[in-house]
Amino acid sequence: MKREPAGRQSVADGSGPSAAKRLFADYETRPAYYDEMFTATGVPRAHCLELCEALDGMQPDEIAAMQALAERSFLHQGITFAVYGEEGAQERIIPIDFLPRLLNAADWDVVERGLRQRLNALNLFLADVYGPGRIIADGVIPVDLVRGCPQYRVAMRGLEVPHGVHVALCGTDIVRTNDGFMVLEDNLRVPSGVSYMLANRRALKTSLRNLFRRHHVRGIEHYGQLLRQTLAELAPPGVSDPCIVLLTPGVYNSAFYEHMFLAREMGVELVQGSDLLVHNGFVYMRTTAGLRRVDVIYRRVDDDFIDPLAFRAESQLGTPGLFYAYRLGNVTIANAPGTGVADDKAVYAFVPDMIRYYLSEEPVLANVETHLCREPEELAFTLDNLETLIVKMVGESGGYGMLVGPHATPAERAAYAEQIRKDPANYISQPVLDLSVSPCLAANGAAPRHVDLRPFVLHGSETRLVPGAFCRVALVEGSLVVNSSQGGGGKDLWVLSS
Amino acid sequence: MLSRNAEGLYWIGRYLERARHGCRLLSDQLATMEDRPVEEIDQGWRRLYRAVHRTPLGGFLASGGEDEDFMLADAYTMADDLTFEPDNPDSIRNCLAAARENARQVRNILGVRMWSCLNLAYLDVRDVGIETIWNDQPDAFYGRTEDAIRTFSGIAVSSMYRDDGWHFLWLGWFVERTQLLAGLVDAHLAQYPTAAQHSESDWRALLRICEAHVAYRHLHSHSHRPGRMLDFLVADPLLAHSVRHALARVTEALDAISAGRALAVEAGRRAGRMAAAIDHDWPNRDPADDAATRAALQGVRNSCLLLHEDIAATYFRYEIADAP
Repeated sequence: MKREPAGRQSVADGSGPSAAKRLFADYETRPAYYDEMFTATGVPRAHCLELCEALDGMQPDEIAAMQALAERSFLHQGITFAVYGEEGAQERIIPIDFLPRLLNAADWDVVERGLRQRLNALNLFLADVYGPGRIIADGVIPVDLVRGCPQYRVAMRGLEVPHGVHVALCGTDIVRTNDGFMVLEDNLRVPSGVSYMLANRRALKTSLRNLFRRHHVRGIEHYGQLLRQTLAELAPPGVSDPCIVLLTPGVYNSAFYEHMFLAREMGVELVQGSDLLVHNGFVYMRTTAGLRRVDVIYRRVDDDFIDPLAFRAESQLGTPGLFYAYRLGNVTIANAPGTGVADDKAVYAFVPDMIRYYLSEEPVLANVETHLCREPEELAFTLDNLETLIVKMVGESGGYGMLVGPHATPAERAAYAEQIRKDPANYISQPVLDLSVSPCLAANGAAPRHVDLRPFVLHGSETRLVPGAFCRVALVEGSLVVNSSQGGGGKDLWVLSS
Repeated sequence: MLSRNAEGLYWIGRYLERARHGCRLLSDQLATMEDRPVEEIDQGWRRLYRAVHRTPLGGFLASGGEDEDFMLADAYTMADDLTFEPDNPDSIRNCLAAARENARQVRNILGVRMWSCLNLAYLDVRDVGIETIWNDQPDAFYGRTEDAIRTFSGIAVSSMYRDDGWHFLWLGWFVERTQLLAGLVDAHLAQYPTAAQHSESDWRALLRICEAHVAYRHLHSHSHRPGRMLDFLVADPLLAHSVRHALARVTEALDAISAGRALAVEAGRRAGRMAAAIDHDWPNRDPADDAATRAALQGVRNSCLLLHEDIAATYFRYEIADAP
C-alpha cells in the first residue's frame, strides 16, 4: 500500500528547484513483513517519526552523495574485506546504506536480556560437554550430536579454563519476524563485523551530525575498551598486567581490516603465528628487544590452524606448541578451541533446552524452527518441502553452501536433494523467515529491504555488550540473504536511550 | 616492538626511498630530452640504468643514436620499464605496491593518515600506464608521486611516536639512501670520467638529482669542478642527500634502537666503520684516480648489503638462543 506523506510538510514539497522527489514518495509498506520504520498502515512508528520527517526532507541525491563519499573513504582507509573465490575481489568494501535503523529502548532490552541469557547458557554447555557431560547423561541432547560434531575437540576434554569461559566474545545473528525477535545463529568461533559496526557509526555520525544528536543514540565507541577489559580478566591466574595480543592469519584474510582495527583500538600487538614461539611451556613473541611473554591471545584464526602440533599439521598460520602451553594454563586463548560445537547448526536446535536445563529459565529470544535431517521423519519432511525451506550445511557459515528453496530452480533443488540424501546428518532445514524490512536508499528513493542484526557480546568475569550491532542489509530487492560475502551491505543501528 | 612490525616499517622506508629516487632520476632524465643532443640523452640513460643495476629490455641504442624518432621511442620504452614494468621489482609502481603491502601489515601501528597517504599514492600509480603519463606531462606525474612520498614522511615526522617503530622506518629509509647514492655516483663516474671532457650540464644534473644544486651554488658559486662536486655528494654531513649524512642518520637510528642495552651490535659497528671511512679515508684519496674513487663507492654499496643482513639477523629473524 502507498504511504501517506509523513506528518509535516517536507521542504521538498512544492515548486522550485527543490521540487525533486521526496525520499519516501514511492515507499510501499508490505503487510507481509514487519517494517522497522512504518506501521502496517504506512504511518511512521512513534520512535521513528522525527527521523522519518527529517529524512523525507532530504533529497535522495543528497543522501546518495553522502553515501558515495563514505564508501570512498572506506576504500581509502582500507575498511575492506575479501570475498573468497572471486578473482580481483581481493579488497572490497561493505556497501553502507545511510538510512539508519532505529531500535527503541524496550526492544533493545529484550535483545540484550536474551543475549546475556543465551551466552551464559552456551558457556555452561561448553564447560559441561568438555567436563562432566551432565547434559548428555541426562538425555537432553544426543551424545553423537555433540561428540560426533566435527567441531568437538577431544583435546579440550577435562581442561579447566579461566572463569569457565570458553566463549569470551560472540556475534549473534538476530532477525525480527512477525512473531518477534529470533536468533538465527550464534557465532561462537571467530565472529567478525564489529569494526564495520563502528565504521558505519562514525560515517553516519559525521554526515548526519544534527540528526544523530537529536536522537540521543546510545554510544558504542567504547567497544575496544570493553574487549580489552574482558580479555584481561581471562588472563591465567596470577598474572596481574597481562600481555594481550591479537592473532591474525594475515593480510590476506577476509577480515584483516578488522583484526588491525581491533588491535589498534585495544592498543595490543597484532601478531601472526610466526611471530610467536613456545619455549619451556610459555608463549613468547619476537620483539626487537628480545622475547616477550604473552598471556592472552585473542585469536582470529580457526581452531584447525592455531597449532600444527595439536590440530592440522600442515597449518602455516599457527604456532607449534601453542596448545601445549594452553593446556598447562600458561596462556589463555580466546575464544577457547572447540567452541564450534556449540554453534553447530544442528546443536543450535537445542539451545532453548540448554537455557532451561542450566538456568531454569524460559528463553527470552526464540529459536528458528529447525529440522535436523539426521532424523528420518525430518529428512522426509525436508525433502518433501524443499520449495518452501532454507537448507543449510551444519558446519558452514557465511551463507556458503545453502539452498534457498523458493528462489532455487527445480533442477537446483533436485541436485541439492541428492546431496542431502547422501549425507543427511550434514543438513538442517528451516522455514523461510518473514525477515523484517527497513527503508534503504534505492535507485528511486527509499525502498524496503530485508535486514538482520549482529550484536557483539563479551563475557569475562561478567557479561558486557555495547548497545549496537552490525545491521546487515540484503541490498537486492526481495533478497533474504544479508551475508557480506553474498552481496549484502550494512547500515547503522541506533539504539535510543529512551 | 614486535619484530615483524619493525621489519615492515624498515621496508616501508626502503621502498619509499627507492621509489622517490626513481622518480627523481626519471624526471631529470626526461628533462634532458627538452634541449640536449641525442648523444647526451643516450649517455644519461646509460648512467641511469647503471645506477639502478639493470639493463634495458631491448638494449641501448647501437651507436649513441643519431635518429631523434628512434631516441624518443626508446625513451618511452625505458621510462615504462623503470616506472610500470611488472617484472621489474624496482619499478616505481612495484616499489609503491611493496611499501603499501608492508604498510597493510603494520596498519595498526601506522596512523590513519600515514596509511591513507600511502594508499592513495599507490592507487594513483596503480591506475595509470606509460601511455597516459607520456601524453600528459610525465614530469608532473613523477613530481606528484615524489610529493606524495614526501607528504608521507612529513606526516610521519609530525605524528609518529618516537619509539623503535620510528627508528626502524628511518633506518630503512637511510640504509636505502646510502646504497642508492653510492650506486648513482659510481654510475656517474663510470659514464663521465673526471678526466674526460664533458659538458657541465651532466654534472649539474647529478647535483640536481641529489637536490644539491642550490646548496652547491651557494657554497661554490658556479665553479665546475667534478672533484669538489664528488666531495660534496659523498662527504658533506650537512647535505640531506649525501652519503655521509645518510650514514649519520643510520648510526643515529641504530644507537637509539640499542639504547640502554649492553649489547654490542654488529650493525652499529659496521655503520660506524663506514662513516669513519668517509671521514678519514675519502679525503686522502687521489681525486684524479677514478678507479680508487669508484672502488670506495662500491665498498659503501657492498657494506650496505652486509649492514642489511646484520640488521635482519639481530632484530627480525633471530633464534631463541640469540635473542637480544
